[in-house]
Amino acid sequence: MITARWPALLLLCLLPVSINSHPPRASATVAGPTVHFTDATATSNISFVHDSGASPDKYMVETFGSGVGWIDYDNDGFPDLYFVNGAPGSANALYRNNKGDGTFTDVTREAGVAADGNRSYKTGVAVGDFDGDGYLDLYVTAFGPNILYRNNGNGTFTDVTAAAGVAGGPNEWSTSTGFFDFDRDGDLDLYVVNYLDYHLDDNPYCGLRKPGYRMYCHPTLFDGMADRLFRNNGDGTFTDVSKAAGIANPAGKGLGLAFCDFDRDGDTDIYVANDSVRNFLYRNNRDGTFTDVAYGTGVGFDINGKPQAGMGVDCADVDGNGFPDIFVTNFSEELNALYKNLGGGAFEDVSATVGMGSAFAPLGFGTRLFDFDNDGDLDIHVTNGHVIDNVKLYTPSFSYAQKDLLYENVGGRFRDVTDAAGAAFQSARVGRGLAVADFDNDGDLDVVISSLGQRPVLLRNDTPHKGNWLLIRARSRSRNTYGLGATVRVETPGGVQVREINNVASYLSSSDVRLHVGLGAAASARRIEILWPRGGRQVLTDVAANQVLVVDEP
Amino acid sequence: MPLVTRSTNLHVSGGLIRAVGLCLAAAGLVATVAARAEGGQSARGPASVQERLNRVGSGLFAGTAPPDDAIRELKSVLAIDPQSAEAHLLLGVAYRMRGSPELTGEARAELVQALAIKPELVPARVYLAQLYLDLGRAGAAREVLTTGLAQRPDDPQLGALLAETERQLGHPDRAIELARQVLLRDESLAQARYYLGLALLDAKQRDAAIEELERVVRSGLKVADANLALGAAYIEAGRLDDGIEVLRQGTTIDPLRADMRVTLARALRAKGLLDKAEAQLMLATPKPQSGGPQFSQQQTGADFYFELGLLRRQQGRLQAAADAFKKVLDTQPDRDDAVRELAEVRRLLQNKPRRQPSGTAP
Repeated sequence: MITARWPALLLLCLLPVSINSHPPRASATVAGPTVHFTDATATSNISFVHDSGASPDKYMVETFGSGVGWIDYDNDGFPDLYFVNGAPGSANALYRNNKGDGTFTDVTREAGVAADGNRSYKTGVAVGDFDGDGYLDLYVTAFGPNILYRNNGNGTFTDVTAAAGVAGGPNEWSTSTGFFDFDRDGDLDLYVVNYLDYHLDDNPYCGLRKPGYRMYCHPTLFDGMADRLFRNNGDGTFTDVSKAAGIANPAGKGLGLAFCDFDRDGDTDIYVANDSVRNFLYRNNRDGTFTDVAYGTGVGFDINGKPQAGMGVDCADVDGNGFPDIFVTNFSEELNALYKNLGGGAFEDVSATVGMGSAFAPLGFGTRLFDFDNDGDLDIHVTNGHVIDNVKLYTPSFSYAQKDLLYENVGGRFRDVTDAAGAAFQSARVGRGLAVADFDNDGDLDVVISSLGQRPVLLRNDTPHKGNWLLIRARSRSRNTYGLGATVRVETPGGVQVREINNVASYLSSSDVRLHVGLGAAASARRIEILWPRGGRQVLTDVAANQVLVVDEP
Repeated sequence: MPLVTRSTNLHVSGGLIRAVGLCLAAAGLVATVAARAEGGQSARGPASVQERLNRVGSGLFAGTAPPDDAIRELKSVLAIDPQSAEAHLLLGVAYRMRGSPELTGEARAELVQALAIKPELVPARVYLAQLYLDLGRAGAAREVLTTGLAQRPDDPQLGALLAETERQLGHPDRAIELARQVLLRDESLAQARYYLGLALLDAKQRDAAIEELERVVRSGLKVADANLALGAAYIEAGRLDDGIEVLRQGTTIDPLRADMRVTLARALRAKGLLDKAEAQLMLATPKPQSGGPQFSQQQTGADFYFELGLLRRQQGRLQAAADAFKKVLDTQPDRDDAVRELAEVRRLLQNKPRRQPSGTAP
């Protein structure tokens, strides 16, 4: 296990080099990589079981599942795990990573993050250092008031929701969420996606009226709800700027959230995956406002112009042209959507032509674009599971629990490698949240999946013959201490990769704040250029592979 | 055997949307669109946006522009000006005109967004309320309309739709009062007259209802819903020939309306024209829905199987009749008429078990 750090800068300079310059990528593929993930849950001491609160009343929120977040809450260099629970009164769980030895210790009670006094259904989680003290904090969303936990830096957290002013409305159904510095003032703001205007006491009967056939209702029955954007005031409080910023669209029925700088203009834009209505792409106008450019860019609909049932989403450059593409998981009998970013504000829907047809039948939820074989391009993992528990009664060919899907990126097209990825991928689950981190710091990205009403699954990446790698831990001088939103351009003899330091994507979940980059056969990165969120550029040269690289903002 | 009329379950769609659109156009929506565009809120060519919105609006309401073309055009307008409330409104209307259940949510989303941008955009309230009614959410419709009427107390479309909303909320007398108030201001408003007819049916004033609905149908407005309501009223009144005629007209206005064909089959069966009834029912056969039937499809499906059961019974195919009634009870186990019919058919089957002709329901 290589855990070498990089406390001193190899080479630091500020250069007027455009981060949008992208020579054609050469193949960085290591010969014959075979992906393999091992289900490491049983030996991990993770005993958490999700409670959906399922009831005969079929409240829609019972279908949601809950998210999962990787958070190195004790700053020991090993990402810990935070599981959100569902049913009112059920406890969330924080597990400390025992230095990457594959085991975890339940520290929920001493940390004070169970949130079991909250009578809401809890849903998503965001991880970020909102107060700039160097420790990652937690924000938990809910069908009801949300919760902000400040990390005290001593293994405990304090609920500071009321003081911070980020609870949201008492009856809001919040879903995915994330910290980002939208106004580039150096501290982390907070975006909260909202779903439906739904009330438990107005719960219509849906499905056939005979025993066992009641089903969860379709979201079309209900109105949407506007998202919220909280601007960090820098003093522990936030201001709700949703309307002024232009993101308070009450038509939204949001589930998934991803941040990326899709137009590469140096600020963070927002993509919201909506359920059964068009998706939103909010372009950051760099003046505190956003414009929804989904119509102009074509990323709100499928290729036929129809809205889909968006669930999870990620945004990253899968074809190596330097611009982040957008990947959205959708309902069963809808293709997952891959919008290829052509640059210049134009996208092309390539969902049907890149080899992901096997995703048509399953119902996708959590997902991430990540390089599971370290060959220098981004692969895809999708966890699936239907929302209707009795779907078989209606459509016998459908199933509630479903297998995950794993796609290997082969030159911008995708090859379904699910069946070759190990026994863990042969098990069906009611997948919901998904997040990635290299929890054992061995250079490859591992996966955790939260399943509805089930135990989570920890998948250790044991891919043999994988390529070289870097894990970049950015340390900003701003209060955005982990450099979230920084763009990193990595050059190797195999080509150029443009990535963003960004832990917000998937469904209700949050991944590691460190940036993982597969280097393929390259023993070093010839050049690494970092565009920090506040605009500074930093260049490192000849960076040796296979290390955790700590980079301090100059 | 009683004829079943379900006037309270009639929903409004298809042609009536266009009819409402015509009313709205007359009320100045297109002018509103033009005025908005003249405001020059698009930095990239206000004249072009104005022309495009005018053209799309006129085409939609005149029925000369295919909704798909309008949708494409409006999306391109919104790509230029995402804050155009009128473009969102027209897009919502176009989605609704597509008549596809899967676009209902998107239609509503566009109308909601139009109102979020411009709360005083009354036509968006009318269409949004209409969508709520289609979804069976009369309470939400009333809220939207009440807000609109506070802004424009004399707006005839808002008033007419509020009448229909009150009917669906179970207040037919209030609905009659509201509809008549609207007609006092504008007696040519067919939409209000149609709603008045429905309310009169609910209030058990069938003859008056028929009179109002006849005026709507005879006005030349091709609105399938009016034919359906009038046809059902004729059947209930025993005027089977009139019912068959007006329902046949309805099937030419909207050949895909399964509820129209089921009602027509009922009239034909009552006349003893069993083969013709069978033919209409076959055209109304519910299609299997992946993931389970959706809301209004369940109602139509149950009505189809109920009528099929009655037809099979009349044909002497008792087992097939029983199967059909059981299918009704699969979706609506509390439906008393189906329970009664199934019990009766079973009694007949027990009495004549060996003489039952073979046959299965489709």
